[in-house]
Amino acid sequence: MKKTIYILLFYFLGNSLVAQNKLTNAIYHFKQNELDKAKELIDAAVDDTLFSDKSSTWYYRGTIYKELFKSREAENKKSPSRQISVESFKTALKLEKEGTYADYCQKSLVFLAQTIYNHSATSFDPQNYNFAIDYYNQYKDIISFVEPETDFKEKDIMFNLALATTYGRISEEDTTKRDEYLQKAKKLYEGVLKMEPNNISANYNLGIIYYNEGVEIVNNMDYSLDLFELNAVQDKIIELFRESLPYMLKAYELNPKRKETLIGLQGIYFSLNDIEKSEDYKRQLEAIDEDQPAEAGGGGSAVDDNGPKRSK
Amino acid sequence: MNKIDSSKSLLFLSSDNKTVLRKVFFFFFSVTFLAICSFTADYDIQKVDTNAKIKAVFIYNFTKYIEWPSDYQKGEFTIGILGDNDALYDELDKMSKVKKVANQSFSIQKYKSISEVKNPHILYIPNDSSTDLSQAVSKLKTKSTLIVTEAPGLARKGSSINFIVEGNRQKFELNKSTTESHNLKVASALENLAVLVN
Repeated sequence: MKKTIYILLFYFLGNSLVAQNKLTNAIYHFKQNELDKAKELIDAAVDDTLFSDKSSTWYYRGTIYKELFKSREAENKKSPSRQISVESFKTALKLEKEGTYADYCQKSLVFLAQTIYNHSATSFDPQNYNFAIDYYNQYKDIISFVEPETDFKEKDIMFNLALATTYGRISEEDTTKRDEYLQKAKKLYEGVLKMEPNNISANYNLGIIYYNEGVEIVNNMDYSLDLFELNAVQDKIIELFRESLPYMLKAYELNPKRKETLIGLQGIYFSLNDIEKSEDYKRQLEAIDEDQPAEAGGGGSAVDDNGPKRSK
Repeated sequence: MNKIDSSKSLLFLSSDNKTVLRKVFFFFFSVTFLAICSFTADYDIQKVDTNAKIKAVFIYNFTKYIEWPSDYQKGEFTIGILGDNDALYDELDKMSKVKKVANQSFSIQKYKSISEVKNPHILYIPNDSSTDLSQAVSKLKTKSTLIVTEAPGLARKGSSINFIVEGNRQKFELNKSTTESHNLKVASALENLAVLVN
């Protein structure tokens, strides 16, 4: 009987030591920069019920995987190590909301979130924009986890503007998707204006999108279009030009010296057959050109300063 | 296997070192945010004279709803523009490459002055050249030329068709008697769409 008790005691003690070794050995190998071994051991540790409910175990796992990400996958936008690191730090925080581990877990999560944010920022192109959306949501998810009161308004605005720009590029590159992506861009700009009604870029671009939509209809019109249909087309485009006007006027109100806005207003009023107002904005544009002959404009737009060619 | 005193190694838990290590932590853990704003750009405005295109469509319709005498139904169908209106000229030029009037190809001309006007099927007098209307009427009174203008009141001063703007829309006035005096027949469908002037 005594012998059996000794055997069982030895068995449990042995198991406990082995389990303890998984964690301490993982730390040891991590210190030696033997990341693969450290990873193998820490993965075994989190599967062990003796340690899986301890914040420290998950903290170490997060730290080891973070190092794997930094040393091997920093350029990999889909880094699996980063993902595991994030989940591990989150688990550590859930198990210990305050204290030293919590403090370091939070800082590590913020660091990882920033790398994800940067990967979002470099994915704004027609091929990868879905990643930009995904990474940005991941970034917000992590930061909200660490700091639930975080206000994302400013970043949301920039994100929406960048995504709307990308949609614009897609609509230019693939005409079959033109309408679909312009509608998406419109929604994003409208979203920006809900957050910040005085955002110049959103106002200007919404104005341009509506205006260009009208122009596109005119461009695609066949010369043999029947007069009855022509009247219907005119109704439609005038509606679009009228929709564009308040946004462009708001952009003008916010910055009356911006050349692109003046060109836009000149074009919108001209298309609405309000030649007097169109000429007024043209004169303002010319006055700016006289004052600042060397300046190239203010918004990086490739618009021609002369505006649309006129029939009147 | 070496044993590790974790409280002195990985965790940075020694209270003496906490402050220093926090500073180190911030140094190594800070990441510069890339500026997403650098990925934003403004849309380009389309540089198109929408009015010119709409007028070109109107003019092409006029060729369908108005009948010229038989001796005008041969050779090229000439549309002349008096003075400068590059946008309309460009649109009509584009139209001339893809459309015809029955079997007649279009010829689009620019006239610097009335003296250059020969015998076009349609003479377009832009707003800036409106003062030349009376001379044009005088020169073309015996010709089957449809004179088209775009300034208020000109349909009563000798032009057959005058573009007007109502509620931001392009419309046109039609002076039927003037038109018929040039031996041009107007289809009733065109009359129905026009603002009639006598």
